[in-house]
Amino acid sequence: MRLLIRRITDKFFTVLTSASVILLAAALLVVLGPMLLRGAGAVVFDGTVEFRRMQLDLFNRGEADSIEDEVSRAAACRKVVYETIDKFKHGIDVEELSNEAKRIYRLFGRQLRYEGVTGDEYRRVRSLARELRNRLLEAFGSNDRALIERNVDRVLRYRGHRDFADSAASGFFTLAEDFLTSVESIDLNKRRQYADSLRQAEEIIFRLLGPRPDDALPALAMERYGATRWDMAQQLLDDLLWSKQWVEAEPGRPMVKVRTSRAGQFAGTGLEGLFKYVEDNLETMLRPRFTFYWQYLIDDSTPGHYFGGVGPEVLGTLLITLLSMVLVFPLGVVSAAYLVECASDTAAVRIIRMCINTLAGVPSIVFGLFGLAFFVLFLIPLFGGPSKPCILTACLTLAVLTLPVMIRASEEAIRSVPQTYKEASLGLGAGRFVTFVKVTLPAALPGILTGAILSLSRVAGETAPVLFTGAVALGPPPDSLFDPTRTLSYGSYDIAVGDRLAMMVPHKQYGMVVTLVLLILCLNGIAIVLRARIFRKLKGQ
Amino acid sequence: MIANGTVSGGQGGTAGGASRSLVLTPLEDLKGFLSLHLGRFALFLLACSSVLLVFLIFVFVVQEAVPFFAKFSTVEFLANARWYPEADPPEFGALSLIVGSLYVTITSLILAVPVGILAAVFLSDMVSLRTRDLVKPVVEILAAIPSVAYGFFAVLVLAPAMQSRWGFSTGTNILNASIVLSIMALPTIISVAEDSISAVGRDLREASYSLGATRFETILRVVMPAAHSGIIAAVILGMMRAIGETMVVWMASGNAARIPSPWWDLSQSVRTMTATIAGDMGETPKDSSHYWSLFAIGVVLLMMTFMLNIVSEYFLAAAKRRTGKV
Repeated sequence: MRLLIRRITDKFFTVLTSASVILLAAALLVVLGPMLLRGAGAVVFDGTVEFRRMQLDLFNRGEADSIEDEVSRAAACRKVVYETIDKFKHGIDVEELSNEAKRIYRLFGRQLRYEGVTGDEYRRVRSLARELRNRLLEAFGSNDRALIERNVDRVLRYRGHRDFADSAASGFFTLAEDFLTSVESIDLNKRRQYADSLRQAEEIIFRLLGPRPDDALPALAMERYGATRWDMAQQLLDDLLWSKQWVEAEPGRPMVKVRTSRAGQFAGTGLEGLFKYVEDNLETMLRPRFTFYWQYLIDDSTPGHYFGGVGPEVLGTLLITLLSMVLVFPLGVVSAAYLVECASDTAAVRIIRMCINTLAGVPSIVFGLFGLAFFVLFLIPLFGGPSKPCILTACLTLAVLTLPVMIRASEEAIRSVPQTYKEASLGLGAGRFVTFVKVTLPAALPGILTGAILSLSRVAGETAPVLFTGAVALGPPPDSLFDPTRTLSYGSYDIAVGDRLAMMVPHKQYGMVVTLVLLILCLNGIAIVLRARIFRKLKGQ
Repeated sequence: MIANGTVSGGQGGTAGGASRSLVLTPLEDLKGFLSLHLGRFALFLLACSSVLLVFLIFVFVVQEAVPFFAKFSTVEFLANARWYPEADPPEFGALSLIVGSLYVTITSLILAVPVGILAAVFLSDMVSLRTRDLVKPVVEILAAIPSVAYGFFAVLVLAPAMQSRWGFSTGTNILNASIVLSIMALPTIISVAEDSISAVGRDLREASYSLGATRFETILRVVMPAAHSGIIAAVILGMMRAIGETMVVWMASGNAARIPSPWWDLSQSVRTMTATIAGDMGETPKDSSHYWSLFAIGVVLLMMTFMLNIVSEYFLAAAKRRTGKV
């Protein structure tokens, strides 16, 4: 019995340890999986005609002729949408209709004067026109169907009247007719409600299709184009078809999301069919096509992070990491060489080792504080440089941060060179220095490089130290080492929590962080392969 | 004692000059001696750069914090929980920040240590080398993922899920930050713990097995006690990683500077020391009390990690001694 219990505990323990490792793998999967998946969407997606238009305008990319052709074909299909909306608006937009009637009246008066009609004749025709206008205004403002029909009928009776033939006043009759047909299908008492719903729908259509072809170009670049991606378009379509509201089901309970059909809001009107039309013809209107947007990695982002890519961030990250590596590599190797080759276990060496460990344990944000206090505010001004965060200070700070990593890696690499190499070299009469430079260092170099690549990947991902020492979220590309730069790491932070605009484009948020993660994983992959080769080589001998 | 250039250029006294004397002239001897020792000294100076850097870090961070400690009471700083640096008069009570840091650190350790030790045992005792080579990269990739990516995951994936799916009132809270921090601390804990567990050696294990103990009993009664110093060091190193982490806690802990009450409710927001430095530094003018206070927090942080570092070194040294003896 006791044996059984012991055996069960043993098995249970085995299962438990395996479970912990599975948990580890699951954590990796949960963290990386969705990120990679959604981040890939920044590069591989179905781009719409709006995307190609944007690329042509902002980056001068693509064939102008074929894109223009596509745009005009899409525009033909979109025209129906705009026409339906305009027609429907005739029935509900009192103010616009009234303004139109007043405009026609003024135009007509001017026309009369221009034609030289004067005196009583002028006054008579003019007052007739005024009557028509007033009747129309009354009809537009009214909710009473009988009153509207009576007024419009009166107006229409003057059609073909010799006073108004071939004049601006004919606008009255088309206006009246349009109004009558659109009013027929509208519940007049719900006009205000229609206007509100229509405004919302129009807003979504604006974001879906971009500004109307005949409208003025908006000042903001992000408002010049509709949905550039098919997945974004699908989401907007859903917004268009369903209006969502958070409603409190009962007091004290969490809010519930209620979806109501927008077509239902316009039931019975001329606009009801529009939603079905957009749903059916969205593909013709936007022409999605599979797009591999590798330029994401080199494009600048305009404006904010709304369009474009992460080019400046990638450049800034590479610049900062490589430069800090150049600074730390010699120092790290030399320190390691001293610790392995020359140092005995004296007090001084023990202090050095302890300091290296301390340095490795200092929180990264404290490195940021140190970089600010020492490099930015003290060292650079000491040499007459500008006292502001810049690439140089960021590199120096990161170099200090990676020094312990570099020293430890090099130490290990130098230590792992077989003693026989050195003995052979020393036996041939070479000095210690020559032995180290000609024999030990070349043999240890792959290992040192592995360590260097690993510290490179660490530097690329560090955010806290560069927060106050040289990273900015937005800004022009740097001209010299004394300018701050954008980096992937700080950019990822900013785009995740700081940037309101970026919230609207999740693929951009994920794209940035995935670029960073992939860069780092690539560096790590190289290091792992390199290390495996060294290991094999050492084993082979 | 043979430095470079020892066998060069001696115009020895032997006839014909065809062979050179192997005996060094006093001058050559001196040159060799000097170059060796000077070279060694130069190397020593370069190696001392890390000592210099540690010194500089202490000096410069403390120097910027001195005006704060001169102006405000240190006791007040450490014992008051009200952190209102921009109020009038400002209140600099860092207790809530220190407590916030401890909350996320300890919670993340509670989550990470069992999993980490079990995984270390799995790697060292349970599986073949081949499986080990499969699992190791998982740990390495977890360690390689940058902290900002973890923070990104916390704030854009985990927080919305917590809020909408599991009914938390806010997605950015202690639990969220702790979960993500524990994932980040795991690689450190696993690698250090695994090193010390495998360093225990076969002989102890085999002795235990030969007495009829099961694997569980061997690990619990023999391996763990022998490796305990290394495991403690692993936990402390994991703790250092968690307490010094900035981006994740800044993004995921909610940044509300208050002590959670009731104390066991992990669904509340806290603000940590690191997050305060990162978040406030951008908005404070240089040489204001607020600016100095951030350096004062940096000093506290530095002291904490320094002490933890000493403790961990003690345990690592103990582990080395122990395995060395066995």
